[in-house]
Formats: sequence, C-alpha cells, structure tokens
Amino acid sequence: MTVLVWTLFAPLVTALLGVLPAPRRIKEANLVGGLGVTLLLSIGTAGDFLGGSTPSAFGDALRVDGLSALVLVLSALVGLLSGAYSVGYLRRNDARGLVSPGRRREFDALVPLYVFAMLLVSVSNNLGILWIAVELTTLVSVFLVAFHNRDTSLEAAWKFLVLGSLGLAFALLGTVLLFASGRGVLGEGMSALHWTRLVALARELHPLTLKLGVVFAVVGYGTKAGLAPMHTWKPDAYREAPSPAGVLMAVGMLNGALYCLLRVHLIAKAALGPAFSGGLLLGLGLLSVAVATPFILIQWNLKRLLAYSSVEHVGIMALGLGLGAEAATFGALLHMTYHTLAKPLAFFSAGTLAQLHRSSDFDEIGPGTLGRAPVASALFVLAAVIMTGSPPFGLFFSEMTILKAGFAGPHTAAVAVFLACLVLLFCGFFYQVGRLVLGAQPAAPRPAPDPEQFDAGGAVTLAAGVLAVVSAFYLPRGLLDLVHAAVRVVEGGP
Amino acid sequence: MSQNLVILCAAGMLVTAYLMVGQKALFVAIRLYGLQSILLGVVAVAMAFTDHRPHLLESAALTIGLKGVFIPWFLMRTIDRIGIHREIEPFVNTPSSLLICLGLTVVGYRVSTGLAAGGEGAAHHVIGVSLSMLLMGLFLMVTRRKAVTQILALLTIENAVFLVALGATSGMPLVVELGISFDVIVAVLVLGILVHRIVDRFESMDVSRLSKLKG
Repeated sequence: MTVLVWTLFAPLVTALLGVLPAPRRIKEANLVGGLGVTLLLSIGTAGDFLGGSTPSAFGDALRVDGLSALVLVLSALVGLLSGAYSVGYLRRNDARGLVSPGRRREFDALVPLYVFAMLLVSVSNNLGILWIAVELTTLVSVFLVAFHNRDTSLEAAWKFLVLGSLGLAFALLGTVLLFASGRGVLGEGMSALHWTRLVALARELHPLTLKLGVVFAVVGYGTKAGLAPMHTWKPDAYREAPSPAGVLMAVGMLNGALYCLLRVHLIAKAALGPAFSGGLLLGLGLLSVAVATPFILIQWNLKRLLAYSSVEHVGIMALGLGLGAEAATFGALLHMTYHTLAKPLAFFSAGTLAQLHRSSDFDEIGPGTLGRAPVASALFVLAAVIMTGSPPFGLFFSEMTILKAGFAGPHTAAVAVFLACLVLLFCGFFYQVGRLVLGAQPAAPRPAPDPEQFDAGGAVTLAAGVLAVVSAFYLPRGLLDLVHAAVRVVEGGP
Repeated sequence: MSQNLVILCAAGMLVTAYLMVGQKALFVAIRLYGLQSILLGVVAVAMAFTDHRPHLLESAALTIGLKGVFIPWFLMRTIDRIGIHREIEPFVNTPSSLLICLGLTVVGYRVSTGLAAGGEGAAHHVIGVSLSMLLMGLFLMVTRRKAVTQILALLTIENAVFLVALGATSGMPLVVELGISFDVIVAVLVLGILVHRIVDRFESMDVSRLSKLKG
C-alpha cells in the first residue's frame, strides 16, 4: 500500500514546492527531480504488481491491476519527459521575456498537479474518484492551454473548458446511471461505486439503465479522449498549449480517458456481452480515423497536424478494443504503449521548430526547415516515420496486429475502411512533412528564425528520439509483461 | 405529503429552467439558477425524511450553500465587474426557443420511463424533469452567445445530473459527492477567471467572436 500512496504523493509535493519562490535552477531541479522520483515510485508499484500482489489503498478505492499498472507507468514516463523538456522550452521563452515569474510559478505547479491527476485516474478503482480525477486534469489543463494569454489561447481554453465540462457532465450522468442500475444490489457507501464490485455483480444490474449509463459515459470520456465527433477541442488546445503541456494532453489525457472508456466497457461487457459497448468503441474509433484523414490532408498548422494525428491514434486504439478479439486487444494496448513512447519525440521536435520560427503555422515556418534547423527537422521526420506506422517501428506492428485480428473477425468491412484511411493518412502526413521540411529556402524577406542551438530542450528531444527508436526493437521485459497483464484484465481475468 | 413536496420542487426547477430560456437579463438568469439550486436542496431534504437517508441532509446543505448562494454571488460579482448585463439576441428567438424546449420536455419524460426507478411515483417525475432540464441546458448552451449564459447552461446541466442521482439512486456516496461539489466550485472559479481574461482581451463577452481557430 505504501508505495502506491507515495507514488501519488510525490507529484503533489513537487507541485507544492513549485509554488514557492526560488532561483530558477532550484525550481528546474525540483520539477525534474520530483517527476523522476514519481516515475521510479510508479515503476516500484508496477513491480509490486508483477511480483504477484495487488497494491491497493483506502479500502480498495485505489487498486492496481494489470491495466492500471500499464497506464500508471506510461503516464509517469510522459510526465518526466514533459518536465525535462519544459526546462529548455521555458529557458528559450525566458530569453525572449515571454514568461513572467507569476506564469512561471503557475507552470511549475500545474505540470506536477496534472501528473498527479493522471496517476490518480490510472489507479482509481472507484468510478466516483475516477470522474473527480478526470475533471481535475481538465481544470489544470485549461490554465496550461491559456498559458500564453494570446487571443487564440483564450479562445482555445474557453472551447476546451466548455466542451470538456460538458463531456464530463455526461460522464457524471453516466456514472450516476451505472450506479442507479445497481440499485438494491450494490448497497450504499463508498464501496458501491467500486469498479470491481460493479463487474462482479454485473449480471444483476438493470440492463436498460446500464445501457443508457454506458452511452453517456462513453460519450463523456470519449470527449476527453478526443474521439470524433467530440474531438473539436483538440486541434485548438494543442496549438495553443506550450509543447511540454501539449504532450501531457496528447498522451497522458488520451491514455487516461481511454482507460476510463475501457473500465466502462468492461462493466458493460460483463453485464450485456461484448457487442453493445464494443460496437460503440468500434464505431467511434472508425469515425475518428476517417475524420482525421481529410483534416490532415488540408492542414495549415504544425501542432494542429499533431492533434489530428492524435485523433487518428486514439481512433485506432478504440477500434482495436472494440473489435473484441484478444489479439486485437493486445494490438490496441501495444499501440497505446508505442504511441506513448513515440509521441513525445513528435511534440518536442515540432515544438522546437515552432519556437525557432515563433509560430506553428506552415506559412510562417515555411518550406526548407532542413536547411535552417537540421537537427530538429531530421528528428521531426523521424517522428513522422514512426507516427505514421512505418516499418520497422513499433506502431507498424501494433497496427498490423489489429488489422490481422480484424480481418479474421466479423467486422471485415469496417477494417477495410480503416486500412484505406491508414494509407491515405500516411500519404497526407508525408505530403505535409515534405512541404514543411524540404524545398527551397524562401526568398521573401521575413524575420529570420533563431539559429538552432544544442541546449537542454535539444538534449531532451534527442533522448526522446533514442527512446522512440530503441523501444521499437527492445521493449523491456517488465513493460511487455504489463501489456500482457492488461490484456488479461480486458479479457476478464484477474 | 413529502412526496408532493418533492414533485412540487422538481416542477419548480423545470419552471426556472423555462424562465431561464425566456430571459435576457443576466442577473435574473443568475438568480433563477440560485433558486433552482435551492429547490434541488429542498428535494434532497424531503427525500432524506421520506426515505430515512440522513446523509442526504449533508448533501442538501452543500447544495444550498454552494450552488444556491456562493456560485450565484460569484457570478453576480463577475458580471458587475465587467459591466455586461444583457444577453444579446440569441441565435434562436425566444418563442421558438420555448416551443423547442416544450418538445425537449416531452422527450425527457418519455426516456425516463425506461429507467429502473423511472416507472412510477415521485421518482418518475423527478427523473423526467431532470432529463428535460438536461436537454434544455444543452439547448441553451448551443443557442446563446454570452460566456456567462454558457456557464449557467453548464450549471443547469449539472443540477439536472444531481437530480437524476436523487431520483434514480439513493444519492451518491458522500465522499464522492464532496469531491464532485469541490470540482464544480473550482470549475466555476476557473470559468470566472477565464471570462475576466476574455473580457480584458476582447472587450466583450460574446463567445461567437471566438472564431479564429478553424480547420
């Protein structure tokens, strides 16, 4: 129990210390150190789980099974990467006088608080606490989106908050209805909302109430995950959020929301069979992949491009989980893992390019970035290769696993559409990358970009690149064990 | 007796929602929201006595204190500071808005009959009213332009969800309810801060001006 509690405690302490006034270096050390300790502790928690115990706390309100352990470790890893990249990112912004000390303190507290909320999402066994934790991620990220205080940041933050709160109101209604479906069966008190209890008593739940609850919960948490058609906040928020915060949303929130969707799906599966909620996930997943395709083809902004790529990837995961076959589930969870390991590279290299050119619009960055910022451009191309699912990288294998399982199952038509979209997405993404990275230097007189320097941000980007490439060929044994354990949870095991 | 009180208050909440739809002065809309929250609290108190569920009293106190008093006060202060008092012409005019909401009420009542607890008695009305309010909140949200009206729509939806919880369950566990209330408060504060920042930058609270980001 203790390691689990400390895992949640570490980022909270980091956030509190982040508010205190201190010299810059100490604040940076606090942020990176605190998030590093958080990662170590969450690996410790996952180790406890792999060692055969089920870490839990507060009367089973927090409980770590295979799925929790996987999401926990991935979230903590992204937290550390984001914290480390923010050091260089903020130094660059500082040098231009873009960050006031107050904003700086805000940032130092919000990032660890966000990590805390993500970790709480991944270990809560209580549907009420799960909702509260997701709401917390939303409230924290509003300030991260509005960080730069431009007109467009406020627009993005407003849309994000209104849409996010609406989604969460739906998720709350879903939770209430799930609870109502077990009226008289679940009893009262805290334990009545425990996921383990709902799954154990699934057969006695009132089917119609449950179905309505599942629909609302899927729409609600689907909004947070950014599944189409509830994805519209994503491009705006990603464009405006500072890159370190963007990656927290693009990976952390995505994994967390998908985790919520899976928990709801598993209750519905135990009560009604896999077809109902599986069909919802499959449909929303396919729609997300299909919607992302045209928007990637016509995209005009680098970070919005990443946002639509994120809509695509969450669609792929939801589709894999919705197919219902064990192999597809494995593919989806493997996809989540590889996506988490690769996405930071894309965000960091794109963030550097945008920062050097002081804009993330294609028109401003212009063609031929390879000549002006060779390292960041090369790393961005590498990220594009990985993110589009090209062999020999991990996302290729996970996508192939899902496709293979899909064609073996009953939904071949859906999978065929999915495959066509993947091909189009691949072409579209590389069209955009080529347009940006290659080509002649623009002749028109316009503000020269800052020269690329190898600084702290560059070092972290490089490290993220190494992580993305190495993980494709060598996943640590423990991480793979966690993926398998998570698949067992989804397939109804312990 | 208590049963009748529950139904009366639930109906009152529905009426406040209708008045909100037909209303243009922001401070009246905020007061209506406060009244709606107090009625929600009264429903909880009445249910606490009829069904012998004392923990509902605590959640009723929380509802009346936070949503009936604190949030309306905070929103009033916000509109006073920024000096904007009227909703401009909504995207759909008032008579048609009211007609559409009438349709939404019918839909809400129809759906409520399918639920486990929605078949008969007071619970039927409570769930029917709450689902109607939910739909009306959504409608307000998409047709109004002022940021504060959108916040009120969101809060109406949230009240509706709490009313469902009262009607369809024996109330959420207290710890969860505390957490949710806390989150709602923080959400309102965050929304308020954001409204300030938007007014500072745009010199307007008209969210239909927030339309630069497309594609």
